[in-house]
Amino acid sequence: MDNTKKKVKIGAAGHAMNAIAFILLTLGSVICVLPFIIIVSGSFTDNTTILREGYSLLPRNITLSAYRTIFKAPQDIFQAYKMTFIYTILGTGIGLMVITMTSYVISRNEFKYRNQVSFLIYFTSIFGGGMLPWYLMYANVLGMKGKMFPIWFPALMSPFLVILMRTFIKGSVPDAITESAKIDGAGHVTIFSRIVLPVLGPGLATVGLFLALGYWNDWYRASMFSVNSKTWTLQFYLYDLLNASTAIKQMSQNSSISTKDLPTESVKMAMAVVATGPVLLFYPFVQKYFVSGITVGAVKG
Amino acid sequence: MKRKILSILLATCLTAGLVGCGGGNSVSVSVTEEVSASTETPASTEEAKELDLSERVDLVFYVMGEAPQDEELVEDEINKILLDKFNATVDMQFSTWTEFQQKYTQEITSQGADLIYIANWLSFGQLAQSGAFVALDDLLNTVGTEVRDLVGENALNMCSVNGSVYAVPNTWAEYTSNGIKYREDLRAKYDLPVPNSLENMEAYFDGIMANDPSQGILTVTTEESTGLQTAFDAAWVLNIKYPWVATNGLPYGLAANYDTPSDVYDYWFSDDFVEDMKMLKRWADKGYWSRSALSDTNKSDAYKTGLCVAEVAGQNPNKQITAIQELEEGGEGWESEYIAYGEVTKAIYPGHATQNGTAIVNGCKNPERAMLVLQAFLCDEELNHLISYGIKGTHYDVVDGIYENLSDTFPYEGFNTWNLRNGDTKLPQKTDVKLQEYFDKYDAIAKTTKFPNVNIYDGFAENYEDYTAERQAVSNVMRTYLAPLQAGLVDDVDAAVEEFRTKVKDAGLDTCREGFEKQWAAYCDAYGYK
Repeated sequence: MDNTKKKVKIGAAGHAMNAIAFILLTLGSVICVLPFIIIVSGSFTDNTTILREGYSLLPRNITLSAYRTIFKAPQDIFQAYKMTFIYTILGTGIGLMVITMTSYVISRNEFKYRNQVSFLIYFTSIFGGGMLPWYLMYANVLGMKGKMFPIWFPALMSPFLVILMRTFIKGSVPDAITESAKIDGAGHVTIFSRIVLPVLGPGLATVGLFLALGYWNDWYRASMFSVNSKTWTLQFYLYDLLNASTAIKQMSQNSSISTKDLPTESVKMAMAVVATGPVLLFYPFVQKYFVSGITVGAVKG
Repeated sequence: MKRKILSILLATCLTAGLVGCGGGNSVSVSVTEEVSASTETPASTEEAKELDLSERVDLVFYVMGEAPQDEELVEDEINKILLDKFNATVDMQFSTWTEFQQKYTQEITSQGADLIYIANWLSFGQLAQSGAFVALDDLLNTVGTEVRDLVGENALNMCSVNGSVYAVPNTWAEYTSNGIKYREDLRAKYDLPVPNSLENMEAYFDGIMANDPSQGILTVTTEESTGLQTAFDAAWVLNIKYPWVATNGLPYGLAANYDTPSDVYDYWFSDDFVEDMKMLKRWADKGYWSRSALSDTNKSDAYKTGLCVAEVAGQNPNKQITAIQELEEGGEGWESEYIAYGEVTKAIYPGHATQNGTAIVNGCKNPERAMLVLQAFLCDEELNHLISYGIKGTHYDVVDGIYENLSDTFPYEGFNTWNLRNGDTKLPQKTDVKLQEYFDKYDAIAKTTKFPNVNIYDGFAENYEDYTAERQAVSNVMRTYLAPLQAGLVDDVDAAVEEFRTKVKDAGLDTCREGFEKQWAAYCDAYGYK
């Protein structure tokens, strides 16, 4: 309405301030974007050119050979993509459910041992059984080596996310609301699903994004518990390609192993593009929730 | 009330945490206990040599690296034979190259595998000592006589720890002798000497610089030199001067000659060292390598792409073969030649037996059957070829006695079974012909040494628990002071040498040397390397 009037009111100092802010922010975003552009252009550049002349902003001697190398065995990479999607969807879905319900319970005042339970959850973030017992638990006691289960299950809940969610619920759902619902005859299930859940939007988005990113980026559990490539995640598939080249290079010092056909510089770049691509597409859509959610958690946490 | 509950909770949590932490230890304890138990079992089979095969046994064979695409296809084929002969099956499991050291020890601790690949770079010695593997002496004398005779007493001895054999090595002696890889076409073009000594190397480099000033000479970094022997890759050329018992001498600036391994002498504090550093400084001043060599990353493609005219660190005959192929594919008429340092110094030896071997993991329920299967993999030509090269006609073919790959889905040694190489039946690849030429040449020299065909240093495993801190400090000093010295990036060599010597002494060099020399002397004594 009177937007025009407001604009007029900005004085010279305000303009200068805006100009500085715009310049700084532009510079900042350029600095953030540049490396990625170099990676993308490197992935299209001929490997010898990279070695001789270094990286550049625009690809020279454009070739698709790096992508051809990566997609040489497409069934493997598609399988890895598929598994990553399965783990991410399964893990994020179940994880969100479990985390929200746990947080709801420990955020309720009528739950007598809420502080003790919170403490127990918090405690696991400081003390753990250690790597080897953890591994033996899944591999030997549960006999889960080579299955999908130990790859998505261990990351379902993290103390940090539970506490974040608890703080969020406490902040956005006043006791009065749930109490009045109770008076109207609502049980915990109704309160949780019809009153609490609907206002948790930003919190769910934040926790969901944390979980999803964690699952998307995970390679460690796939590395530990896989016995063949059927359960590999995408990140592990790509990471392992790189590791294989380093290891083979090292081993070939002491052993007769062929060092031909190791991934080249441009292949490494192409891998980074393949691995980050989907996340880049996905990120802008949840970003607004992400920002508001994380500040909500931070201020009151 | 509340406080009480809290304190009880805390206490339980703490104990739970402690129990959790102790878990790792208790596992290894149970491992050692089982050693004694399982070493006794074979004794009972001695009378009944005919093994009871009525019960089917499924074995897991853990190997390093990546699985080939046709893993299952080949496994099925192998298992058909194994079921028929031994009523057993084998499932190959692969470490992948990600975190493989950690996964390897986990695999042993969790006793998930029966047969396992072993190597000195996977700490075979320490693992065997801590009871990770089944002692094989009795098994070899009962069910494994065939493989015992194939491998030979000498090689088995090298795989023994504290008097018991813990692994079966492969029977293909390979030479991984370090050396210099250089461009023969350039040498011929400019009529330069063959770089078979430090002087000739210098002449070769100088000649190329004079004729083509824009040509890079060496792309050396610090990456091949992270141990305690040397700190900069260019210093590897010194191996052409000294007949040392190991590449780059012994750790902590010590050295011993191959012919007299127990006679350890001081290299860092000798005049030779100063002289060598002066030579390297001269080379650096001539511009053989970049001024930023210390911070450069290793460019493994440099030789292939013509950025350098020689590689001097971390090379071996097999890498030379790869280079020949790559230069051929490059199609620019470039040629690569190779000189092993040992050829010149006459101190040359094949890889140690523990470089590629197979062990039976402690906790294996059927060690006899595992041994039978292992024996078949090594001695039975049909099985050996199947597990090494895949299915004949589908994955490979033999043309004039040479292996030819037919499918990407199972490459040469697709299961990474370097431990199952049988020297008698190994199918050579096209490139192996050339490789064998190198090996034959080295073999002839190796026979003339005082310890023919023994890789003395690689059988030795240093235990530095008592001086880890000093060792770390020495390593740091080497990186800070020795690396620029060897890279020739100092102004005054004599002063820099003095500074390095003082610093490394301060870091606790003497403690390390004392500890090392004691163990080394004991090792030489035990195996008779005088």
